[in-house]
Amino acid sequence: MKKITLVIVAVFLSLASLSGKAQTPKQATIKITGEVTTPLTITEADLQTYKQTTVIRKDRDGKDHTYAGVMLSDLLLKAGTTLGPDLKGENLTKYLLVSASDGYEVVFALAELDKAYTDRAIILANQVDGKPLLPADGPFRIIVQDEKRPARCIKQVVSLKIAFAK
Amino acid sequence: MKAKPHILNFFRCTFTGKAGVSLFLLLAVVALSAFTYYQDTVPTGAFQLVYPANFGNRVNTPADNVTTKQGVYLGRLLFYETRLSANNTLSCSSCHQQQKAFTDGRALSPGVDKVLSTRNSMSLVNLLWARKFFWDGRAASLEEQAAMPLSNPHEMGQSLNVSAQKLNGIKSYTQLFRLVYGDTLVTGDRIVKAIAQFERTLISANSPYDRYLKGTYRPIPQELKGMALFNQAPQPEKGIRGANCAHCHGGAKNYMELFHNNGLDSIPKDAGIETITGLVQDRGRFKVPTLRNIALTGPYMHDGRFKTLDEVVDHYSNHIRQSASLSSFLQGESNEPGGRSLKLLPAEKKELIAFLNMLTDSTFINNPQFADPRLSALNK
Ligand code: HEC
Ligand code: HEC
Repeated sequence: MKKITLVIVAVFLSLASLSGKAQTPKQATIKITGEVTTPLTITEADLQTYKQTTVIRKDRDGKDHTYAGVMLSDLLLKAGTTLGPDLKGENLTKYLLVSASDGYEVVFALAELDKAYTDRAIILANQVDGKPLLPADGPFRIIVQDEKRPARCIKQVVSLKIAFAK
Repeated sequence: MKAKPHILNFFRCTFTGKAGVSLFLLLAVVALSAFTYYQDTVPTGAFQLVYPANFGNRVNTPADNVTTKQGVYLGRLLFYETRLSANNTLSCSSCHQQQKAFTDGRALSPGVDKVLSTRNSMSLVNLLWARKFFWDGRAASLEEQAAMPLSNPHEMGQSLNVSAQKLNGIKSYTQLFRLVYGDTLVTGDRIVKAIAQFERTLISANSPYDRYLKGTYRPIPQELKGMALFNQAPQPEKGIRGANCAHCHGGAKNYMELFHNNGLDSIPKDAGIETITGLVQDRGRFKVPTLRNIALTGPYMHDGRFKTLDEVVDHYSNHIRQSASLSSFLQGESNEPGGRSLKLLPAEKKELIAFLNMLTDSTFINNPQFADPRLSALNK
């Protein structure tokens, strides 16, 4: 009898934990794949472990906003992308394909992301003006410093893929 | 199309006598063999997919299923083959009819068990460039896609293995499979590959809009005004009127492969892509469908809720429903300062629809290469 009650309690507990799990909303992540040595999956919490930086740029409303996040190159280096001293020779034919959850895609040449080539910051932002990005823009958005058109400031980023131009 | 009434008339006149019966049977056999051997020689070799340069070459053909003339020939037969359904009543063409730009005119479509589909049938056009299929993009290739309606119990309701077995017993088919795949074996994989090859040939590139881009069609003023509205974003502070449809539906193909929530509901009954990803940002988010042949493909939206293009334009003009997952491209897009929908004038709505009518390609829906091969054989 005792055993049975124990089993019942155990079943109830596991059911409760299951339904508890189902209730926490799933978090968006970013996958880094392709020509990298260590493919990564990045969450918002992971972003906090990288050096934080900000970029000020205009949005479609024509006003300046302060975007906070991390340098895209820091994330790519962590995944083992050929940036820095390795960005030479055939590696200069590599590009980054960024995809958003709405299917939109844009490309950056690796050299556009490398500090040795440019001072222009390209960041993966998760905050604007001190607040999390709006659901329709976030949780992750690329912000390209000083680029005239905002078309490569791609919203709702879900994937970063490194590839060779063929 | 013409042959059916002939058979019926013949049936009525001759069914009375015994001789009549055997004559009828003879004719039926002739007609049936026309069904299977509708053309004496099957074309073979690489299939040239012809399309305008402004469509671009970012096509999606898997390396293990290159398009051949014999493969397309077989795929076309299979697309119209009712034996691929559980009770031999449905084919792909039941829900994808050429005259309706490969849709079926219904909000939801009945399957072999008469149960309605959960979403609106989609137009099959310029699929050569598509990478994600279905309203929620859940299939990554036409090959993967085709397997789903074939085996779904509420669509054609027959497993690929049973379909393969049925066709394995039909000589005209096994011979065709040998021509396409090197031996007579019919398999589910070979069935979906051939269907996919045929679907890649469904190219539409001759609408008045295509001809306008080529410089061989001169739009009337109403169409030109509609085109301008379609392409430009509203900027009330600068006095620029627009509808910004091109942001999601633009380009030479009238299709960009995006997935958005276009404000149909605040709390959607069908959660769309959220059902797959579990992310609230994806709630009520669906494929932005092609607008090519849009005048022919009503009713509209994933659930077929709008019967006419007027209702569609009214939606964007006046009834965008707010929610956290509403596309950022539709938030605050308005011709009135601070407006939440486009707020188009009655004349502007008509102009927009005049432009949408420019996207109808009548050569596509009448192209004999896409029609039911059995019917064209009977018409010979
Ligand atoms: C009972 C009706 C029905 C039948 C039969 C049917 N379809 Fe469909 N088709 C649909 C519906 C409904 C959708 C959209 C379903 C969804 O998104 O969940 C669809 C979607 C598609 C798509 C996706 C188009 C796009 O742009 O993403 C393709 C391709 C397609 N069907 C091909 C086929 C083929 C090939 C067959 C035969 C093997 C077939 N269909 C049989 C109803 C049908
Ligand atoms: C934010 C992107 C976006 C914009 C901008 C947009 N649409 Fe759409 N459109 C969609 C989506 C997504 C759907 C499918 C929605 C669904 O069924 O849930 C759709 C569906 C449609 C359909 C129905 C297609 C079909 O096959 O059922 C028509 C017609 C249409 N839009 C016309 C327009 C017009 C005209 C405009 C400009 C006034 C416009 N759209 C602006 C995203 C957009």
